[in-house]
Amino acid sequence: MIRTLDQMEEKVLALGKKFRVAIAWAQDSNTIGAVTKAVNNGFIEAILIGDRSEIIKTCRAHGIDENLFTIFDAYDERDASQLAVRMAKEGEAEIVMKGLVETDKFLKAVMDKEKGIMIPNAVLSYVAVMEIPLYNKLLFISDPAVIPFPDLDQKVAMVEYAIKMALKFGVKKPKVALIGASEKMSNHFENSIHYSIMCKMADRNQIKNCIMDGPLDLFLACDKKSVEIKGVKTPVDGDADILIFPSLESCNPFYKGLMLFAKGELAGLLRGTEKPVVLMSRSESEKSKYFCIALSCLMA
Amino acid sequence: MVLKTLNDLKSIVEGGPRKRLVLAAAQDQHSLEAVVRAWKANIIEPILIGDKEGIEDLCSSSNLDISGIKIIHEPNMDMSLELAVRMASSKQADILMKGKIGTSSLLKCALNKEWGLRTGKLLSHIALFEVDTYPKVIAVTDVAMNIAPNLQEKIAIVNNAVNCLNKIGYILPKVAVLGAVEMVNENMEATLHAALLSKMNQRDQIKNCIIDGPLAFDNAVSLESAKQKGIRSEVAGDTDLLLMPDIEVGNVLYKSLVFFAKAKVASIILGALVPIVLTSRSDSEQAKFDSILLSAAASKR
Repeated sequence: MIRTLDQMEEKVLALGKKFRVAIAWAQDSNTIGAVTKAVNNGFIEAILIGDRSEIIKTCRAHGIDENLFTIFDAYDERDASQLAVRMAKEGEAEIVMKGLVETDKFLKAVMDKEKGIMIPNAVLSYVAVMEIPLYNKLLFISDPAVIPFPDLDQKVAMVEYAIKMALKFGVKKPKVALIGASEKMSNHFENSIHYSIMCKMADRNQIKNCIMDGPLDLFLACDKKSVEIKGVKTPVDGDADILIFPSLESCNPFYKGLMLFAKGELAGLLRGTEKPVVLMSRSESEKSKYFCIALSCLMA
Repeated sequence: MVLKTLNDLKSIVEGGPRKRLVLAAAQDQHSLEAVVRAWKANIIEPILIGDKEGIEDLCSSSNLDISGIKIIHEPNMDMSLELAVRMASSKQADILMKGKIGTSSLLKCALNKEWGLRTGKLLSHIALFEVDTYPKVIAVTDVAMNIAPNLQEKIAIVNNAVNCLNKIGYILPKVAVLGAVEMVNENMEATLHAALLSKMNQRDQIKNCIIDGPLAFDNAVSLESAKQKGIRSEVAGDTDLLLMPDIEVGNVLYKSLVFFAKAKVASIILGALVPIVLTSRSDSEQAKFDSILLSAAASKR
């Protein structure tokens, strides 16, 4: 079982493969820095798409040899995004990555009905894996980035994506905690209704390969002592592998708070696409971007 | 304790104090027969309200000895009903039973705001069935009163029924929430309610029972069919109480058990100050007697 993001990196290195990654509008130093590290560590070949002169300028400013990469010209962000997606669709790239593009412009290319790379009828969502120094293992969370207020079907899809990722990390039967403000079922909280339904779906094997409970508050999900004190019978038992949040606006501050105040580190990936799509905030650190690339290779 | 047969209800009430049963509009032969039988078995102390002469004529023509039973003469049906309800609400009676009067009048009277039997709870119906093909008595709710209960009403219905079963000796009755399938299906509201009720039970928001659902009828009552479907459930195959999705399903199940499976049945209304025996005029004397037994067992305080 992979317990840290460094172990995840080791696992990717051990695959002994080189994944071709097409990066849209790859001209900022964070992106190029992360890509360079992955290229140097030998697990990707990078195709940088953007304004060639800008790309070369950024490389040279950081002492990076631009010949490490294949560079393709594009007029603008939209053009770069479309080209990156097309390369993935046509098999010239195995992974697509967002550079200095605004997320909605990039996603438009990914989601295009004809030229995009969505799995038909799949839910587009996001799963992140967090390393938190005060937690004894990695924590998979969803959805910090894509679905504002997931409905029941979207929540089920989020869970299934997270389970798939956790299994890939060697977690045998991931414990899924469906996060709310309280552990009670209440007609007034739609989430608690969704969660109760999902637990029954897990009971009936309509959602497979997991141990699920919810609603649970964060303490009951991740802290055994709280479970004891509250006396709640829960199969997750304060030992969650996966946290599903009720909304983007609850999940997003959760991970950002942990990164800012608890030295958390994160890797995340878009889900619902035919090929892995690396998508993260433009302000994300080089290290996070590097881990995202490694994660995409693991999931490719 | 789990009931094997309806007759087991006897052992619950035997030896205890006789329950005071007030029979409204008592001039009804089947009701009188059942009441007299329960009286002779030392289970109840009847109070008959109605047309005294009519009651006595009926009893003498069918050789029912009612000497020693208190009769209150009140020939007016509505007044006899009101008097019966008032006796129950002022704790002069432990059980209310319907004689020769319509169900709707009785319920209307029982729900009177000033002197009725309201407790703030929803009124609901429970029926206990004894069939040869199931190893124990199976309770079913609600097959007669609540038409299309929403989630809140289902919670109240389960609580009423569980409370009744607890009183007659079930410590932790197994409750199956019935659906057409055992899977959660967003298009079938009953399966969603079932999931919510299960969770509320896990979280101790519905107590003193074990709830699982949705379960299809076969999974609920047959361990083998539950196993075939791969259902992991404490309830499947061992159900004590079946919660119906609505009155249509409940009523058809009730009647098919009675007609095709020759079930014996006892039933009462729950949620009022006292149990109400409200068997239909077409029910057999045996069903009325068993219902009185059930009401006496459930009125145990």
